[in-house]
Amino acid sequence: MNARVLLAIVIVPMGLIIAMVPENTTNPHKVSAEQLLGEMAGGAQFISPDEIAQMVIEKNPSLQLIDVRSEEEFDTYSLPGAVNVPLADILSREWRDILDQDLKINVFYSNGSVGAGQAWMITRQLGYRNNYVLQGGLNYWMEAIINPTPPSALSPDEEFARYDFRKAAGAALGGGTLEARQADTESLPPPSLPAIRPRERTPVVQGGC
Amino acid sequence: MGPLIVYDIISQNTNLLLAFFIGIGFGFVLEQAGFSSSRKLAGMFYGYDTTVLKVFFTAAIVGMLGLLFFSLFGWMDLEMVYVNPTYLTSAITGGVIMGAGFIMGGFCPGTSFCAAVIGKVDAFVFIGGLFLGVFIFTEGYPLWENLYYARFMGAPLINDVIGMSRGMFGLLLILAALGMFWVGEWAERTFARDIN
Repeated sequence: MNARVLLAIVIVPMGLIIAMVPENTTNPHKVSAEQLLGEMAGGAQFISPDEIAQMVIEKNPSLQLIDVRSEEEFDTYSLPGAVNVPLADILSREWRDILDQDLKINVFYSNGSVGAGQAWMITRQLGYRNNYVLQGGLNYWMEAIINPTPPSALSPDEEFARYDFRKAAGAALGGGTLEARQADTESLPPPSLPAIRPRERTPVVQGGC
Repeated sequence: MGPLIVYDIISQNTNLLLAFFIGIGFGFVLEQAGFSSSRKLAGMFYGYDTTVLKVFFTAAIVGMLGLLFFSLFGWMDLEMVYVNPTYLTSAITGGVIMGAGFIMGGFCPGTSFCAAVIGKVDAFVFIGGLFLGVFIFTEGYPLWENLYYARFMGAPLINDVIGMSRGMFGLLLILAALGMFWVGEWAERTFARDIN
């Protein structure tokens, strides 16, 4: 038999099978406990309040703030443009498209950093990327951005620059009332394009003919 | 489960060592299939020998089916497979240069080393040209840097671009490959010549 016919007999049915079965969309890659520990110790998951404030003021479309506190707490106070994903519901199907995506920088926050840290660990364990934690949570946010303490007179210039920035950011973000939040959520999430955080590059062996 | 080799598990050097052995195996198979003959390779362009088309497309569709089935069974996570990013302009320019070199020299880079190993002089000349090309590219890099990075498209997959499922595209590719093999064998009969 001609080799071409033989090849066709074997490969066309396989092609038909693969065309008919649904794609396997489960994500078997899980982060191991050792990897998770390493990442936690590295601390790359934390984003400072200054960075967040900057992005919120710029209305950076790649930022997605995620409030992992309860609904009542979210209604009382939340950061502009945040969505509420209570920690207890984090595994619900409803939030998966928000948590498992490649475009935006998701930043979890809670009052301290425990709740947000737990949310980060769960999503990391599921293999999701682009999730981060607001360093120090809302408590530190209040302290650093909304009511910054002026640096002492002998501090270096950067301290003063940071203080000025925080003061201005605090004035811009200070309100945090319900009305202000609603107005912001209406204007905030514009089309989601840029993902700005550069991903670490793994060296790749290239090949070819 | 993940890709076959995770970078975190083996070091970069072990990876290169594995690549070395796989490369030797690849070279052996190329030579064994007659790919160290520039007449055979150039036959692709004149139509009298389409082995190149048949070998590489068979490899591509077999590999594709393997990956798709492995993914179906959950043995492999296709999300983790590295896809070369596409810079459209340089891909086209590079393709034209590579194709022209292929017809003129009768080798592609891999097969030229293969032929050099069995002592073919034309292959040594080809490799000389290859290094010359690398030298010109590197030294003149500022001249074509813009061209090199023009029209970046990320790492798109054809089936996503045309909005088709992976499996359906795979089937069409298989049918297209078989169609090309048929045309190739027709060309071999029509433009037959004695290359030995």
